Amino acid sequence: MRFTGCCGGFFTRIDMITGTKEKGTHGFEVQEFVTRYGIFLVLVVLLVIAGLISPVFYRSANIANILQQASVLGIISLGQTIVILAGGIDLSVASIVATSCVFAAAIMAGKNSMVLPVALFCLLLGLLSGWLNGVIVTRRNAPPFIVTLGTALIMQGIRFVYTKGAPFGTIPSWLRVLGRGRLTFIPVSVIVFLSLAVIVALFLRRSPYGRKIYAVGDNRTAAFFSGVDVNRVVLSTYVLSGLLSAFGGLILAGYLGFGDNWAGKGYELDSIAAVVVGGTSLVGGYGSVGGTVIGVLLMTVVFNLVLLAGLPYQAQLIAKGLIIAVAVAFYSYIGKTE
Amino acid sequence: MKKFTVLLVLVGLIAGLALTAFAKDGVEFMDSDKMLVNTVKYYKPAPWKIGFSNASISNSWRVFLQAHLQYEASIHPEIAEFFITDGQDNPTKQLADVEDLLAKGIDLLIIAPATDAALNPAVEKAMDKGVPVVVVDRKVTTEAYVTYIGSSDFQMGKIMADWLVEKLNKKGNVVCLSGVAGASPAEERLKGALDTFKKYPDIKVLEQQYCDWSPVVGKQVMATFIQKYPQIDGIWADSALQGCGAIEAVQEAGLPIPPVTGEDMNRYLKMWKQMKFDGVAVSFPSWQGQIAVQKAIDVLSGIPVPRNIDVPRLVITTDTLDKWVKMDQPDEYFMDSRLPEKWLPKR
Repeated sequence: MRFTGCCGGFFTRIDMITGTKEKGTHGFEVQEFVTRYGIFLVLVVLLVIAGLISPVFYRSANIANILQQASVLGIISLGQTIVILAGGIDLSVASIVATSCVFAAAIMAGKNSMVLPVALFCLLLGLLSGWLNGVIVTRRNAPPFIVTLGTALIMQGIRFVYTKGAPFGTIPSWLRVLGRGRLTFIPVSVIVFLSLAVIVALFLRRSPYGRKIYAVGDNRTAAFFSGVDVNRVVLSTYVLSGLLSAFGGLILAGYLGFGDNWAGKGYELDSIAAVVVGGTSLVGGYGSVGGTVIGVLLMTVVFNLVLLAGLPYQAQLIAKGLIIAVAVAFYSYIGKTE
Repeated sequence: MKKFTVLLVLVGLIAGLALTAFAKDGVEFMDSDKMLVNTVKYYKPAPWKIGFSNASISNSWRVFLQAHLQYEASIHPEIAEFFITDGQDNPTKQLADVEDLLAKGIDLLIIAPATDAALNPAVEKAMDKGVPVVVVDRKVTTEAYVTYIGSSDFQMGKIMADWLVEKLNKKGNVVCLSGVAGASPAEERLKGALDTFKKYPDIKVLEQQYCDWSPVVGKQVMATFIQKYPQIDGIWADSALQGCGAIEAVQEAGLPIPPVTGEDMNRYLKMWKQMKFDGVAVSFPSWQGQIAVQKAIDVLSGIPVPRNIDVPRLVITTDTLDKWVKMDQPDEYFMDSRLPEKWLPKR
């Protein structure tokens, strides 16, 4: 059983049982190189094109903007990566983001003293909805697609009942630092995102638990017979995703400054797209955090580029769609020839 | 034989015309210009059962619209029952909602369609059954309704643009932030704005982008515009939703906030008061819901009603800002409201 993990140096393929690196023929290595670094190359090419299209692109302020905009989607995509690696999918992330954002604004009501307790409350809410996803998926063996869609609706209902459709409150300055603060010119949210990415990457690669996630995604039955508590592992991936989404919601609230019922709209599909573009297999068991980080950057850079080039909104949809289609075609081609 | 064929075709044509005329003329007009609808045939003695099929309550404006309908219905004892359905922004769901309402035996249908053309069959079916239809907010594309109550999005966009042109002394660089691409309010408001801007050669529309009526997207788009354009003199935003996001972006970039348009949403008014920029709020009145119920009562009483009603917009300027802004009330309240205190949506 093989899996791919990642931390500082990107994709490393390790034999699960012996822990040694695989050695292949020369041709195999070229292919390996393309699989590992293909997405990275695409990003590099895109960055070069970006510089050619617009002189504004490489301004530090624009780069900081892109990174800041990527961070919330990035944090959510980390959770999505974990869920997808274990063979699931989470469509409730965007709804958890919005609910967390709305509650943060409403209960904190601009008071710094409330930041910590309310943040904990929002995280707990994310944790609970993730747990709900996980419990129904594992105990009732229900398709995660439908279960998480249901949870998304529940979270939407909760915030609508609470706000009666009209969000209120403001975000206190401490949380705003998290969402829009800068250390010299690096946005705080980016530092948070990248730190989380390293933690999740290490967790997936180095901890026995992380390996179990890959094992479950790769072959559930085999993992079960190897003594892995499959249900517990799957449940935990949804809990982590819920937690990360709620945290993303807090950062988005800090970015925005107020509550919005539809903050994070579209993040469920954007995060799945980023994960897939990053080379993680939708059937689970194969993929990495590094790929997801690149995937998120790719999506955000495209958004920025379309605006800088002055292309209409429709071009953005087309570009986004093309990236996903090409990425999926590419990975399935590689998968076949491997 | 040839003559017979021609005759047959002619008869067919005439019959067809008569049929379409009949189908259309479910509605009788008082005048040849079709401005006023004769409602005598809808007369019914009270009490009435009225159904309201709402497109959704997924944003605060729609919540306010619905509250206005409920409030107005509550103060008329002749309305014995007032049913409300929520289409969840889904035309298919709303079609089913209308079926349900008709099955409940309503005397009149008020509908706020999710999309214009998709709800035509529902409206036509109701009219065929002799249930008069009052359309509010967005239009239907069929002729089968008694009266339409709305507020012109074109005018709203135009008034905002007129104000911006005046503020800039007819000269400057403007960016336009629209709502959802293809949504009729967004497209109409933009048409109205461009209609004004094109008359002033020194007003340069740098760029127009859609922001999905999302403050997050509004902020992201504006942040990029700030990098791209060294000089932005005015922001035309078709709604305070993305407008507030854009204001955030300008403030974060440490720039002075240029004149920016918005609507009567309390969040925008609060920002306007606190940051002291040049603003204007043009409302899209949520009390058109109240007018819809009033006209419904007219229809069931056999009193003639106008075919189309344009509910006037409130324009808030810096001079009148203090009168409308409520610092202690929720951000997403729409201040051009006629709801008494206890009918406001509360926690």
